[in-house]
Amino acid sequence: MSQIQSDPSSLRPAFMTPQKLLPDEKCSLGCPILDCCMGGGIPCNSITEIVAESGSGKTQFCLQLSLRAQLPPFLGGLSASSLYLYTEFPFPTRRLHQLSSALQSQYPQIFVNNYDPCDGVFLQSVNTADQLLDIMPQVESFLENSKTRLPVRVIVIDSMAALFRAEFDNTASDLIRRSSLFFKISGKLKEFAKRFNLVVLVTNQVMDVVDSGEGANEIRIGNLNGMYSSGRRISPALGLSWANCVNSRLFLSKDEYESGSAGGGEKGFWESTDKTKRWLLLLVFPSSTRPALPDGCTSIPVRKEENKAADRESGGSSLN
Amino acid sequence: MARGVSVIVKRRTFCLLSKLRGFHHQQSREERKEYHQPAGYTALALLASSFHSELASDLEISDGEALENLKVASSHGSLMDRSNAILQREQQQQSLNPKDWIAVDQQNAWDLLHEERSLMTRISTSCADLDDILGGGISCKQVTEIGGVPGIGKTQLGIQLAVNVQMPSYCGGLGGKAIYIDTEGSFMVERAQEIAEAYVEDISEYNRFLHKDLQACQGEIQGKDVLQNIYFFRICSYTEQIALINYLEEFISDHKDVKIVIIDSVAFHFRQGFEDMALRTRILGEMALKLVKLAKMCNLAVVLLNQVTTRYMEGSFQLSFSLGDNWSRCCTNRIILYWNGNERYAYIDKSPYLRSAAAPYSVTSRGIRNSASHCKRSKLV
Repeated sequence: MSQIQSDPSSLRPAFMTPQKLLPDEKCSLGCPILDCCMGGGIPCNSITEIVAESGSGKTQFCLQLSLRAQLPPFLGGLSASSLYLYTEFPFPTRRLHQLSSALQSQYPQIFVNNYDPCDGVFLQSVNTADQLLDIMPQVESFLENSKTRLPVRVIVIDSMAALFRAEFDNTASDLIRRSSLFFKISGKLKEFAKRFNLVVLVTNQVMDVVDSGEGANEIRIGNLNGMYSSGRRISPALGLSWANCVNSRLFLSKDEYESGSAGGGEKGFWESTDKTKRWLLLLVFPSSTRPALPDGCTSIPVRKEENKAADRESGGSSLN
Repeated sequence: MARGVSVIVKRRTFCLLSKLRGFHHQQSREERKEYHQPAGYTALALLASSFHSELASDLEISDGEALENLKVASSHGSLMDRSNAILQREQQQQSLNPKDWIAVDQQNAWDLLHEERSLMTRISTSCADLDDILGGGISCKQVTEIGGVPGIGKTQLGIQLAVNVQMPSYCGGLGGKAIYIDTEGSFMVERAQEIAEAYVEDISEYNRFLHKDLQACQGEIQGKDVLQNIYFFRICSYTEQIALINYLEEFISDHKDVKIVIIDSVAFHFRQGFEDMALRTRILGEMALKLVKLAKMCNLAVVLLNQVTTRYMEGSFQLSFSLGDNWSRCCTNRIILYWNGNERYAYIDKSPYLRSAAAPYSVTSRGIRNSASHCKRSKLV
């Protein structure tokens, strides 16, 4: 079938048959239930978006992915470093270090000679949407001639929404400029994702659905009829045009768990997090391979060491 | 009188063919008679040449009667001539010679009607309800645009069509190949594999239903062969997209068995920072013309998946297809996918010959199928 592309002088587009395409590699999150839910982890070669309200564990997700990418493929990683573009200050260095030392102690045979997994996470701060577009050539050259120990194959942007939510007005011209930026950025990211076989993970914030009348934020995207988090109806920020730019969309939801001592109410912050249950829902996921997936959900309590899911109830949410 | 006979033969042929086409369409056979789709003359030729015993058993008539029917069919000279003429014309069209094309273009409406009824073939979507409102499926020779919000199942429908176009002729399919142009990176190999494997299972189910030689048929198709028959292009910029569409004609002349071209999605690269909207309109118009021409000349279906966008109209935000008004004139058919409660629906928004109608469908692990709740309802009835 591939004889047609045998003539290298012609600049014809080369076709592939899916049989020849390898299934996209996946980067594991280190949680068997989440990995199973997503068919092995976050897929390479496409943009995956995490939508969640603050405190749901988006950043934990990103940090963990950027660390675990360094594991060899037989442990679910990619043997790759990661590039972490952060927009919300300050960068949670301490948390990264915590997760890193947890990972190090979990796999001492991989991280020999006191190698710190933090060394494989490259940080870059981004302040505005235009700056993000401007640094794309730098990102490209960084990906091309990376002198890093492991090749860079993960790009995390945490968070995309923060870049766009402040700067743009609700006027027509600003909205057009904004969506044009979306498409430019995602076009670039998709190109990189394909050329370097990258995992691209971006995070997005949510907004409350205020009126139940017909508004732009009423458009249903994905498998859920209504997205609820902390008991409020929400919808992803950045609107429909950004939704067109990503390949997969995950939704992290959280709820305060009403325990028996709920009357006591005012407990310390750390105690109350134990009463929070979080779960993951796949909103848009083209590679979903499981029959239960469209509404499949699973919980991911965020522990201090690492994300690990406790799955006690079938197909549903459970407590930490 | 001769015409009367031919009509009877046609009806019976069609009846036979719809029996061959399988079981899930049974209740809608009455409606389907009106469409006159893939049966027609080519099937008549087939009928005349071969299975008279099958005809007898299927129509529940005696062998002698069947033979007589077949004699009528084969001795009906003018009918056969006409079918041959149309077949030849079809072959000429496929030869892609512009001179032939101009010559062939001189048809009258009657010829066109016959051609349409006899040779306009359709690609099933695997969802019987959707097929019904589409008159059997996505039609060849036409450009069909399908749009909807992210996650509604556009890519899934695209993959399903790329697989279904390969349905062998004994199942009522085209036995063709597919070109899949991915501009967004949403084509997932494992998903395609899953749909292909479900499709292979379905085909062997058909075969078992028809009491065909299972061994022989199963040897023919396998999941990996199905994937082998999809030519996959990944496009990273709009220049690449234009170049590829210009190259398609040449590619298809090398691969004549390509019966469907799917572009997923046509809009993505044209939405990134085109400052000059007039230029964009021109480029898109040219691209659309090329695709329309390709569909006509090569007798294949072109399916364009499109994104939707919000547009501010008359004081409120409304959903509309991206790429603007000019683009919307380029496509022959347009199907909108949308959520209705918890069900996915497809709505025919624009079509020169189909009634606008809506049908529910669902995306399952096996691909596009009838909506589950709808099935339950029909079972209850």
